[in-house]
Amino acid sequence: MNKLFVAALLTGALAVPAYAADYTIMAPASPGGGWDQTARTMQEALQAEGISGNVQVTNVPGAGGTIGLAQFVNQSTGNPDALIVGGYVMVGAVLTNMSPVTLADVTPIARLIGEADVIVVPAASELKTMDDLVAKLKADPGSVSWAGGSAGGVDHIAAGLIAKAVGVDPTQINYIAYSGGGEALAAVLGGQVTVGISGVGEFASQIEAGDLRALAVTGDTAVGDIPNLKDAGVDVAVTNWRMVAAAPGITDEQKAAVTADIEKMAMSQTWKTALETKGWTDMYMAGADFDAQLAKDIEATSAILKDVGLVQ
Amino acid sequence: MDTFGLLYEGLLSALQWQNLIYAFIGVTLGTAVGVLPGIGPALTVALLLPVTYKLDAAGSLIMFAGIYYGGMYGGSTTSILLNTPGESASIVTALEGNKMARKGRGGPALATAAIGSFIAGLIATLALAFIAPWVVKIALMFGPADYFALMVLAFVTVSAAFGDSPLRGITALFIGLGLGLIGIDLQSGQARLAFGIPDLLDGIEVTTLAVALFAIGETLMIASTSANVKDEVMAIKGSVWMTLEDWKRSWAPWLRGTAIGFPIGAMPAGGAEIGTFFSYAAERQLTKHPEEFGEGAIEGVAGPEAANNASAAGTLVPLLTLGLPTSATAAIMLAGFQQFGLQPGPLLFTNNASLVWALIASLLVANFMLVVLNLPLVGLWVRLLNIPKPWLYGGILVFATLGTLGANGAMSGHLGPISFSFELMMLLAFGVLGYLLRLFGYPIAPVVIGLILGPMAEQQLRRALAISQGDFTALVHSPIAIGLYVIAAAAVLVPLWLRMRGKGDVLSQMAADED
Amino acid sequence: MTTGGPNLARRPDGAALVIALILAVIAGVIIWQTSQMRLPPVQQRVGPTVFPYVIAAGLLALSLGTLVQALRGSFPPREKGDMGPMLWIVAGLLAQIMLLSTAGFAIATGLLFAFTAKGFGRGPLWQTIPIGIVFALLVWFIFARGLQLSLPAGPLERLLP
Repeated sequence: MNKLFVAALLTGALAVPAYAADYTIMAPASPGGGWDQTARTMQEALQAEGISGNVQVTNVPGAGGTIGLAQFVNQSTGNPDALIVGGYVMVGAVLTNMSPVTLADVTPIARLIGEADVIVVPAASELKTMDDLVAKLKADPGSVSWAGGSAGGVDHIAAGLIAKAVGVDPTQINYIAYSGGGEALAAVLGGQVTVGISGVGEFASQIEAGDLRALAVTGDTAVGDIPNLKDAGVDVAVTNWRMVAAAPGITDEQKAAVTADIEKMAMSQTWKTALETKGWTDMYMAGADFDAQLAKDIEATSAILKDVGLVQ
Repeated sequence: MDTFGLLYEGLLSALQWQNLIYAFIGVTLGTAVGVLPGIGPALTVALLLPVTYKLDAAGSLIMFAGIYYGGMYGGSTTSILLNTPGESASIVTALEGNKMARKGRGGPALATAAIGSFIAGLIATLALAFIAPWVVKIALMFGPADYFALMVLAFVTVSAAFGDSPLRGITALFIGLGLGLIGIDLQSGQARLAFGIPDLLDGIEVTTLAVALFAIGETLMIASTSANVKDEVMAIKGSVWMTLEDWKRSWAPWLRGTAIGFPIGAMPAGGAEIGTFFSYAAERQLTKHPEEFGEGAIEGVAGPEAANNASAAGTLVPLLTLGLPTSATAAIMLAGFQQFGLQPGPLLFTNNASLVWALIASLLVANFMLVVLNLPLVGLWVRLLNIPKPWLYGGILVFATLGTLGANGAMSGHLGPISFSFELMMLLAFGVLGYLLRLFGYPIAPVVIGLILGPMAEQQLRRALAISQGDFTALVHSPIAIGLYVIAAAAVLVPLWLRMRGKGDVLSQMAADED
Repeated sequence: MTTGGPNLARRPDGAALVIALILAVIAGVIIWQTSQMRLPPVQQRVGPTVFPYVIAAGLLALSLGTLVQALRGSFPPREKGDMGPMLWIVAGLLAQIMLLSTAGFAIATGLLFAFTAKGFGRGPLWQTIPIGIVFALLVWFIFARGLQLSLPAGPLERLLP
């Protein structure tokens, strides 16, 4: 019977020795997505560095990570072995989806990696610098169509912050949402929209090839010869980061132990090599610094989502 | 070095014996997991990709190519034999394929699917190697207004899947369109028809709906009627191989399916399933046996299956030339490529020439391996139908729920102290819907098609109007859009005109002349 | 699936009337929910409410069409379905859904397997349930352990190394 045949084949080829589970990392996204990749890279590094004998990754996708977050809080309270991956997108999703469970309900451990957005125009565009874009935006906000990810996501937030910083009503921006960075990239390359705004990694190879011109990056520092927004004269800084958090209700000692393990992982060679292959920027930050930064990000995001009219 | 030289070198490395073994393992694993009802290619590739990480770059690429093509092909087997497509691109295959299987012609249906997939894969992979840069330029010219026109054309051609009653067909389509409204609206970020349930914010998953309507609905229908209809044996009548007549009727659909599927797969917002709809509609229009459509016409299997595989290769065009992942499967592949040290993008062909050509050569080898592996297995697959029904359908439900849980397994529903999976609850509800639709003679495919096309059409229209700042004439500014509307109008008017002139006479005359 | 000519008796078809009613109710729910939506002040030429209203209007028209066909009795005749087997399968699915989080994949899915087999006339349950559990446990092992798919684990799964 074919099912037995399949079964025999799969077990033969794939059966792996199993150990007692140590950490369980929840990726609140589908297999293959960004959070899933982060979780699986952590799994690899934690095991390879001998920090944890066996790490399991579970996927609970949906609603910008808020479904996974709710399930995590529900099932893992007090469990020092449970971790969840999250990020800036979750901050926005919690607000726009009016999620009853927020990041305040878990124990944030550390920010791990991050990626700034980049603002690009097609190579043939008349817009040469950020100043040109700002001038066009001020003259007629509707005439600048922005292609980026879904409404309320980090790309939309960055566009809204830019409008607000240069004195344009953020509700007037002509933001065109695409379901992924890839589709937005196609729209910019095809000249369908005025500017594109998305993660640096999405556009990097087109910028390098000269098909797209980068006007500015949204992070704190310039990337290569692309200026950051502050240097380009717009007082905005947003970065799309990913973090790891532990379960609510764990003791301070348990929190310290998890933090130590994560720090060991983040400093390891396996982790650094993995970041390099995947093109992720190391943005490790833990402890009180991270708590303060997180609070600041949540506050700023909440304000801008109100300004663009997505949240009441 | 010229293209041929590079391809030759790639083939030489792919044909080393250990690489052939990797290709064999990849194709076997991909087919084995892809064949399980409810587990589509995206999940197959996501699950099996890590298996390839352990090998060197050339070995993992070739095994990966095998998994990709194997997973794409595996889905059509259960779709044909059991009417349980695991994903949206093989729904159309089920329409005619399962009717053929019920008449004891499952063997030829599987064979035309396998050979069609091979031919489409071969042509499309060669097209990927030689004309990708030009194809992608054309694909990028499609703006939102053009995509909207494409959707209009797709809606017009959906009627081919309506069965015998336009009213019930359109009703099924509108049920799908209604389901497509559920979830957060991409453009405004506002929830629609979510009734405050977080699980509905992402909308209804196409895979869940398709698996429920087909696999669960079919199981319920067969269970409720099998007491009355004593064992309709579906096993083989006649040969499991294609007859000369089958070959004659298959070759043109294979080529047409390839020609339709490849460019649509290459479009950044095309999607594999749309190519299969178009191919099915085209075959229905062009067939010399219109009376067989809906009753098991081999053209209706050959064309869409070729289109499905050609668009799988087409998806690689924007992925390799622009780094654009245009489907869930492609997004997972992108992650995989990075593991191999490939950075997809415009410079890929210059920076990583040898790896790219190794990949393309791997795809050719995997494609060949697939047909070598699967044609002899056709006889074995057909014997699936000899498994006693209690075990067969028990197994189908196990894998249908496994696939749903694996893709969307949140235990987010609560009933007192028990937490349960909301997605499985939807699977059950849509399964019952699938049973009721069957009971009252409503066609199933238009529901899924509505769920796929509705949101795409809406988003593209709204994007087009946002970019033009509300100017409706922008919808017909581009020659591409105008051309597509002309084809759509012709697709409606020509059959009407033929009917008015006495359709039956004309068509049978044509058939008689050509036979 | 049944297809066939119009019902010659031309009596109003009760089930078809119910379908017409259901379609109208769905249209009503869409219109009601859409009218309750909070519209963000973001500038939008075709807003998020246009398509829902269009689709609801289409459903209303289809409801009318179905009503006409129901009154004319021109729905195709249907086979009398047997409810017993269906109930076994639906019960199996419900049992699986409710048991997954506590009993784990193997036990819950084993019940689904056995109940489905029962729906197709194969029993008795005390034989098929163990078969189903062993089968589901094997499937769990391949996919959860071998392929790292997240599937709920229960007491049986934890026994596996």
